[in-house]
Amino acid sequence: MAKPRQLTDSELRESRLVFYKEDVQAIDGTLREFLARSKSKAAMLVDKDGHLITQEGSTEKTDTDTISALVAGCFAATREMARILGEEEFTALFHQGRRDNLQLTLVGQRTILAVLFDDTTTIGMVRLYSAEAARKLTSLFRKISSRPAGSGGTDEISDGFQEAAADTLSNVFGSD
Amino acid sequence: MVQINFANKEIQCKIVYYGPGMSGKTTNLEVVHKKAPVNAKGDLTSIATEGDRTLFFDFMPLDLGNIAGIKTKFQLYTVPGQVYYNSTRKLVLQGVDGIVFVADSQADKIEENLEAIENLRTNLKEYGRDIESIPIVFQWNKRDLPTALTVEELNRRLNPLGAPVFEAVASTGEGVFPTLKALASLVLESINRDKRDSGMGQPAASRAVPRAAAAPVAPAAPRRVGAPQPPAAPAATPSAPPVAAPPRAPARPAARATVPVGRPAAPPPPVHAPVAAETATAARPRTMAPPPMKAEPAGRPAANKAVGRVQIKERTDTARLTVTILIAAVILGAVGFLILKYL
Repeated sequence: MAKPRQLTDSELRESRLVFYKEDVQAIDGTLREFLARSKSKAAMLVDKDGHLITQEGSTEKTDTDTISALVAGCFAATREMARILGEEEFTALFHQGRRDNLQLTLVGQRTILAVLFDDTTTIGMVRLYSAEAARKLTSLFRKISSRPAGSGGTDEISDGFQEAAADTLSNVFGSD
Repeated sequence: MVQINFANKEIQCKIVYYGPGMSGKTTNLEVVHKKAPVNAKGDLTSIATEGDRTLFFDFMPLDLGNIAGIKTKFQLYTVPGQVYYNSTRKLVLQGVDGIVFVADSQADKIEENLEAIENLRTNLKEYGRDIESIPIVFQWNKRDLPTALTVEELNRRLNPLGAPVFEAVASTGEGVFPTLKALASLVLESINRDKRDSGMGQPAASRAVPRAAAAPVAPAAPRRVGAPQPPAAPAATPSAPPVAAPPRAPARPAARATVPVGRPAAPPPPVHAPVAAETATAARPRTMAPPPMKAEPAGRPAANKAVGRVQIKERTDTARLTVTILIAAVILGAVGFLILKYL
């Protein structure tokens, strides 16, 4: 068996997305401002692996977990298409519906901004302001990633996590 | 990759069911969807072809609830089994935190299983990941078929990693939960380890551990939630025989597997037998249908890369030709103008 590859600290930081409270508050603020200016219904920020980071606007009736997975899948597929066509990346996608529309914009290298809007606004407005929001979020992420690991103040996973996890798994999947 | 969101006090992990076509990946997910507690599971979404083969992925969110004050969610995915869809199969692996490899136990499927493991190794490598260091468990599925190979043979051929293995008959639900439970445990363990490494409240330590150290997981003799408690089962230690064999399963010797030569340090993987059969039936009787898509060689992405390069080259050639024609036209125009002027 090959010897397992040892990951460096910087690789670890790059490979995991950790958001602290103040990060998400800042992201939420940007999304709220975007919604007010573009008059869109909802905005979701999704990472490329398909996990939802945060959301703003009216998404109560939406299965945001599934939407996030599909948004990431959509983007992954278009990235592959871009590669085959010799394009670096398609940075925006638009899905037009009869009532609602969905605009997807790449934010930095690892996240996607999904915007749900109807005919109270226009695609031009949404595109204009989502490009602006993407720029703000990109610089925010740059700030987050340049921060030293483990500097999230009191936020941390408690030491009893592993034991509690074993109990929960037994409850959900059955005990040994 | 695991996403840790301290604002929502939430952890999200991505688990992918991998394996050759028709091995039972989607069936596994359907069983989890059917049997998981109502408050834990989300909708099962499937992007499939008309022939009911997975085209892109099947997806199901599973909410484990609060673990030590942190909401823990698993996103379960399956990949398409057909080699034809390798490009989409690879996309689903992006950011994966743990893998369930579902192998078809039948003797004539061994080559397909080996090919799928190699393909998994290659696809992971493209994301800079290593099959040796990622949390992985193997499921020997279709143990009820008379042509199933012995567990020892499967271990020897398919599991030189020494990862935990589980026997299953996914179409009846046997072995599905124990497999997922073991992998979930490995993934959560890796988060705990990563937490120490990143300095989140703990001193740094090595993240990547040899598979052998991570292999022995809690033996699984599952109690189904919401179902009557089965009779108490003895712990399935590596030296203990399987708890209960599925119907028509070939006789299996003790669960201790043969360790491949050259890996003396790795303890044999514990084999976890499925427990008492349940009445669940697979929503899709997939096992007998022939694969609708003609398999293509795994070299397809490489071919695509080549196509991309050819297109870029053609584009450059066209641009050069256009510029040459323009320069020629300008020179001809100037010459014509001078001739007309002086004649």
